[in-house]
Amino acid sequence: MAEIVALAEIVLFPGALYLVTLGLLLSWVDRKATALLQGRVGPPLYQPLADLVKLLGKEDILTRGADANLAAALPVLALACTLTAGLLVPVGNHSVIAFHGDLIVVLFLLSLPTLALFLAGLNVPSVYNILGGNRALLQYLSFELPLMLGIAAPAVYARNWSIDALMKLQVGYHWFMLALPLGFLVATLGLIGKLERLPLDSPHAKAEIGAGPLTEYSGRKLALWRLVTWVQTVVGVNLMVAVYLGGADSAWAYWGFGAYALKVLMYTAGLALVQVLYARLRVDQVADLSWRTLVPLGLAQLVLAVWIGG
Amino acid sequence: MTRITVPIGPQHPLIKEPIAIRLDVQGERVLAAEIGIGYVHRGLEHLLQRRTYAQGVAIVERICGICSHAHTTAYCQCIEALALLETPPRALAIRTLLCELERIHSHLLWLGVLAEAIGFNTIFMYAWREREQVLDIMEAISGGRIAHGVNVIGGVREDVTAQQARQALAMLNALREQMRTFVDLVERDRSFLRRTQGIGRLTREDVRAYGIVGPVARASGATLDIRRAAPYAAYTWLHVPHAVLVEGDVLARARVRVAEVQYSLSLCEQLLAALPEGALTTRSPRRVPEGEAITRIEAPRGELLYYVRSDGSDKPARVHARTPTLPTLMALRTMLPGLHTGDVAAVVAGADLCMACADR
Repeated sequence: MAEIVALAEIVLFPGALYLVTLGLLLSWVDRKATALLQGRVGPPLYQPLADLVKLLGKEDILTRGADANLAAALPVLALACTLTAGLLVPVGNHSVIAFHGDLIVVLFLLSLPTLALFLAGLNVPSVYNILGGNRALLQYLSFELPLMLGIAAPAVYARNWSIDALMKLQVGYHWFMLALPLGFLVATLGLIGKLERLPLDSPHAKAEIGAGPLTEYSGRKLALWRLVTWVQTVVGVNLMVAVYLGGADSAWAYWGFGAYALKVLMYTAGLALVQVLYARLRVDQVADLSWRTLVPLGLAQLVLAVWIGG
Repeated sequence: MTRITVPIGPQHPLIKEPIAIRLDVQGERVLAAEIGIGYVHRGLEHLLQRRTYAQGVAIVERICGICSHAHTTAYCQCIEALALLETPPRALAIRTLLCELERIHSHLLWLGVLAEAIGFNTIFMYAWREREQVLDIMEAISGGRIAHGVNVIGGVREDVTAQQARQALAMLNALREQMRTFVDLVERDRSFLRRTQGIGRLTREDVRAYGIVGPVARASGATLDIRRAAPYAAYTWLHVPHAVLVEGDVLARARVRVAEVQYSLSLCEQLLAALPEGALTTRSPRRVPEGEAITRIEAPRGELLYYVRSDGSDKPARVHARTPTLPTLMALRTMLPGLHTGDVAAVVAGADLCMACADR
């Protein structure tokens, strides 16, 4: 019986199926919120699913000169890493796997898909893919550190590297967002860079290099890559909610999952708001923002967290 | 570092019309740029020689989908000059009204394209939403949103009723309110300035050397505006304010155009408030006397020149249009080298190229 429950947790809730469904939902929330903020109507609820199904049915073409096995393996690897990371991050007030130090494992698992994306770009002998792949690597070098610094601040502050424990420590509105606002800001910008969302989406700036590292991909592979982005968004948002926004913490005990869901939706809408407000940063401006602003801020927050924490 | 060639076009998300830009890139730096044109050449000038003068109006209207009215205005003026026709003042005012409406819609469209190129989708959506209002006014007047079919040789085909004028004035008033967003954008928005300031710079000498016209020239300190330099149609009795800046970068081009939209709004309001009474057309002859004529008008992108030669028959012997895009197109070879690849989009979009005009 225990095995069946464990399997169901991994495959159904809060594992793969839930993460993918929530990914589709958040993608809709993102698109709808963006549309409303821009004075448009926006897509219907089923649009992300329809897009995915349609893309899965499209012909899968690969450029001559690209390694077919690598091209097929990379999105699967990226998706596997992201889904595994999803199991470690609490959904509501419960995560499938929790152990001391899982925060570090999640950050590691989240960094693999970005490297896979870089490889996917370099795998195709096309100018846009290679330029996009290079930019993806620069993006990785720029935003991995701010994200880690931002996420590490609460862990250092609370002297605890377990996500579950960090979440439980915030019960009663002692959210780390309030104690460590700088860390929250740095982590959020790091996450936006990690997810390659506007205004930090130079690796696939449409007007410059088409779809960047994914330019020559189509059909199932492209659908899988899309899925990776969405599930990555879910894991990133879940992580931020658990580490900074108190996870399922709320004044009403029975309202736990609802509070978590509300926070996830609000945070996603917040990402949409950022996307609406700014123009895309140029590649060098992106690196500037990261190394001149975010990293020093993150380090300052870390030092401050050591000082006031404990 | 190795040099690679990045092709932009003839099909690319950045460009709305086919043009081939080949960038020689080292790292993220552009070393050289080659421009290839001719992808939308339709042989329209030749076609004009095989149709009557009246049929030609419909053809020149289809040279370009944005400045269609500018083309017909220049063409009709040219033939009116050849045939020595007196165009009634009411017709001139309606022509000018549509010219200015077209300028507003063209500049807003351009602002949207630039915003999209620098990844500022919100401004893209806003600019094109406001542009719709102008298209609605033009549809109410002429029945056409893009090709209006208003100009005929010797006058205009559509009248502007008092009720249409009132409605148009109300919509223009609303648009004037909305323009504050764009003024704020080009004056203050830091994320917009960061992507447009100091790039794609052209000096006044460059403008002179390439013969650049229109807003691009006026953003580099040149004062050329045909509406002021050689007034035609209703500009003979209207005062046309002009916006001239000296910076010569993409930002200056944006500021010039946003200012011009506001000036155009007030010109439209002046015209709508006091449309001269009288006839809409004069009778035009089927055959045009032998001779040749040149007219210049200020299209949204700058000076548009038409040359028509008549051999006395009912068909022109030669029609030639010199469109404002061509010199800007050549200046890309000066503007692009040395740029960061991320800025190419802003510079190309900021040049406001109209390939359909340039290729014909």
